[in-house]
Amino acid sequence: MNITIDFETSHLVFPTVIGVILAILGLAILVRDRRRIAAAGSYWRETLGWMDKKRFFGTLVLTLIYFSLMVPVGNFWPNTGYGFLFCSVPFVFLSGLLFMHDWTLRGIIPLAIVAVVGPTFVWWLFTYPLFLTLP
Amino acid sequence: MTITRRYLLAAASAAAMLAQPMMAAAQDLPRNIRLVIGSTSTGGDTYQNSAIVADALSEKLGVNIKVDAVGATEAFKALDRDSRGTTMMMFHDQSYLGNLYGVTGYDNPFENYTVGPTVAINPGNAYLVPKDSPYQSMEDILAAAESGERVRVAIQPGGVSEIGFSAMKNAARLRSPGSEENIVAVNTGSQSDKNQAMWDDLADVINGSIQANEQFTQLPEDDQKAMRFVWVTARPETLEQAPAEGMGDTTRDQLLQYAAPNSSVPVNEEGENFTFDKEFFFLFNQETPQEFIDAVDTALAEIYEEGTIQERQKAAFFIPNYLPTEEAQQHLQDKRSTYEEVISEISGDAS
Amino acid sequence: MFEIITPLFLSLIVGGVFVGIVFGAIPGMTATMAVAVSLPLTYSLGLENGLALLLGLYVGGISGGLVPAILLGIPGTPSSITTTFDGVPMAQRGEGEAALRIGIVSSLVGGLISLLILWLFAPTLADFAIRFSYVEKFLIIFFALSVMAALSSDMLLGIFSGVLGVFVSLVGVYDISDGGNGELRLVPPGTEYWLDGGFALLPVLIGLFGLAAILEEAERGVPSAASSDEIAIGKSSSFSFSVFRGQTLNLIRSSGIGTFVGILPGVGGSAASIISYTNAKTFSKHPERFGKGEPAGIMASEAGNNGLTGGALVPLLSLGIPGDSTTALLIGAFTLQGIQVGPLFIGNNPTTWNAMIFAMLIANLVMFAMMYFAIRYFALVVTVPKHILFPVILMMCVIGAYTINYGIMFDVWTLLIFGVFGWLAVKLRLEIAPFIIGFILGPSAEVYFVKSLESFGTLSIFFTKSWIAVVLWILIAGSIAGSIAMSRKKAGQVADPS
Repeated sequence: MNITIDFETSHLVFPTVIGVILAILGLAILVRDRRRIAAAGSYWRETLGWMDKKRFFGTLVLTLIYFSLMVPVGNFWPNTGYGFLFCSVPFVFLSGLLFMHDWTLRGIIPLAIVAVVGPTFVWWLFTYPLFLTLP
Repeated sequence: MTITRRYLLAAASAAAMLAQPMMAAAQDLPRNIRLVIGSTSTGGDTYQNSAIVADALSEKLGVNIKVDAVGATEAFKALDRDSRGTTMMMFHDQSYLGNLYGVTGYDNPFENYTVGPTVAINPGNAYLVPKDSPYQSMEDILAAAESGERVRVAIQPGGVSEIGFSAMKNAARLRSPGSEENIVAVNTGSQSDKNQAMWDDLADVINGSIQANEQFTQLPEDDQKAMRFVWVTARPETLEQAPAEGMGDTTRDQLLQYAAPNSSVPVNEEGENFTFDKEFFFLFNQETPQEFIDAVDTALAEIYEEGTIQERQKAAFFIPNYLPTEEAQQHLQDKRSTYEEVISEISGDAS
Repeated sequence: MFEIITPLFLSLIVGGVFVGIVFGAIPGMTATMAVAVSLPLTYSLGLENGLALLLGLYVGGISGGLVPAILLGIPGTPSSITTTFDGVPMAQRGEGEAALRIGIVSSLVGGLISLLILWLFAPTLADFAIRFSYVEKFLIIFFALSVMAALSSDMLLGIFSGVLGVFVSLVGVYDISDGGNGELRLVPPGTEYWLDGGFALLPVLIGLFGLAAILEEAERGVPSAASSDEIAIGKSSSFSFSVFRGQTLNLIRSSGIGTFVGILPGVGGSAASIISYTNAKTFSKHPERFGKGEPAGIMASEAGNNGLTGGALVPLLSLGIPGDSTTALLIGAFTLQGIQVGPLFIGNNPTTWNAMIFAMLIANLVMFAMMYFAIRYFALVVTVPKHILFPVILMMCVIGAYTINYGIMFDVWTLLIFGVFGWLAVKLRLEIAPFIIGFILGPSAEVYFVKSLESFGTLSIFFTKSWIAVVLWILIAGSIAGSIAMSRKKAGQVADPS
């Protein structure tokens, strides 16, 4: 069982081994669960049927916008962390609204306070005492 | 719903008002500077050295400087993205050695970035053998290679750890062409891996450092962990500046015994000795305003004039080494061409 | 040595433990980060006092991770992943408080046992640890990986998930600093700019456990009740020390495993709790209860990860080599003060050594006292309405992902990618626990496997290298046989409902 490994190509050894194992296991699953896999279409239709689309996709979209804006916004004030601060406040507030069921003042006011105080405190904590870089 | 909209509007305009004075406050010199470094470790020498320099610089310039240990590839990326001078980088010879050895993620720093002032040297790069090794000196190692004995050297390929190894091969080639084939690399990672390679008898010589390996050289010979220095790559004039007490129980004079010219690894036919000092220097984005680089240069000159930073550097076993931008560029370019030659001489058989 | 025990020394430990617990308890922030940001402070504090602070942070940070692991199902640190397995089911049954208490007591036991081992045997153990070459280290990792089978409810899918985790962890360069050749692999063309460093562990972890859980909640419409209705924690929940009856062996074994895994440089902290957890499961009389809220599972996991604290200091103080990422930072504290760590450290610096042991002892006791009496306040987190809790958790995940590697935006995107993947994986019946274990252990498995072959040139070396290798194979075989027997039993139960 002698094996010579050339250092130049050694980065491919393990991925190949793992890839082959993965393929074998994947094949085994395909064979064993073929019925379930064949029924995937109806499974997903069902899932999409009962899922709360507004909240699920709303969360995804908000998160995408949040992540995308952080760096460009932060670039206006380099290395201050304002990108994080100015994006987190609306994100916390809007996603809170999205998750909230009854939009009442009694519900919204605490959320608004958390949405302003939370990110501001975290921003202060990371910028000053912890001295870490934020976007 | 209307309530929420109104709240949103109010919040947005409040944020806008908050932002205005901050934009107005922005001055010529950025108030907040990020110093990215070529290492991901906040316990390592690059970070320590950068922290010492950043502290002094931040005080002198009156700005905030945060040291971010993002690692070489990410640091170069961060530098690429920012031409305003709000991001600087601190790294050492690895930045061009990585490029010379063709490592992924390394461009030629002299072409793609502006090389800035040097600030310090870590004089610790060394090669060690087991304490009971037959090799007493580099001379023994080169002679062994000449006589056909295989000498295995544990290094981390692609940079600072490999350059001394390349020099060894080059010296073997000069001494007896073909014998460099007998000096072979054992490619490992961290210092702990290199030590382990020695203890597992996978390597006859390992790359290490004065700081990390000195205590192992003090162990009795019957301890399987015991090691011995065979080569300290620093220039003798660098070591001269180290504290006389040296490191641990090894004095500066003892360390000098392992450095050129006492421990000699020739770099050319004329018999010049190969040396390597790990020098830390700044790197800037090429479009960084010249005024900014000048400001950093002037501030550093004043800092080194005052002399307190040297104390801090020496306490952490760094050799103070301030060269202003222009001198630094010339010096590092020269250094790079020497090493480029060494690497090209042995290329083809370098692993 | 008593002259170093000043009020400042003690208050730094207490402060360190407190801040450490907070860092550990907030998803996305870790013990490593707590130590990293405090490192510069130690310069002005002096060595002993600086170490008091850092060790307090270390012990607190590792321990704090159990709180979100149990209450929110989000491991606060990678080493508390296995705590979620039984902690969450207990919390859902309304036994969150009991689960927290079990975790805290086990953490204390783990911390103290490993400290004792550190104090008595550090140099001897270090000499033993260096007998673990690439081969033995690979086998240890392989042993930890072999538990994937035991952790999954569907063995085939579980193993597939674990292997997939290993596969994903290999994306990017074969890291030079781990001994690789720095070449890219498994990176789709066009994505090299982002993927050259692969995916970072912490963003993957909080994506899979944090964001994915929130997406699942969003999918179900975020049931409006405050979380406390599901995770009841009230005073009604019963806890008495009697749950520890019959668990002495488990606690000692898990602490011992944690300590030993900590001693091996390069094997990594997360393996400690994973190996102790499976061992507890294998040796338990009721292995089927694991993963469904078995107190012994929490004990094993928490004793294991706190056992790490003393263990990781062994190679640091007797070889100058850190045992995990947090102790790697401690080296910085020593060199900042001009102190060398290496084989002579303990002999040359008896005062510092004693101060460290003493600081660890106090830190463990303070950690216990603080956490035990703060349980009520931890519990408050579950009374926060979800529409406030979730956005804040998301924000903390973002900040954790961004700051863990000192400001890399791709880490934040990684969080999103693996959040979506985690949600999708549940739909596809892939299993998250084996996946993350594979992901964590993958890179070390690769390096040690490839280096073993590179150095010895034959596959048989894995069997013939040393008696340690043989012992490890016996353990691996036992672990695999155990999982097969259990899955047979499970299958038998399904077939025969009597």
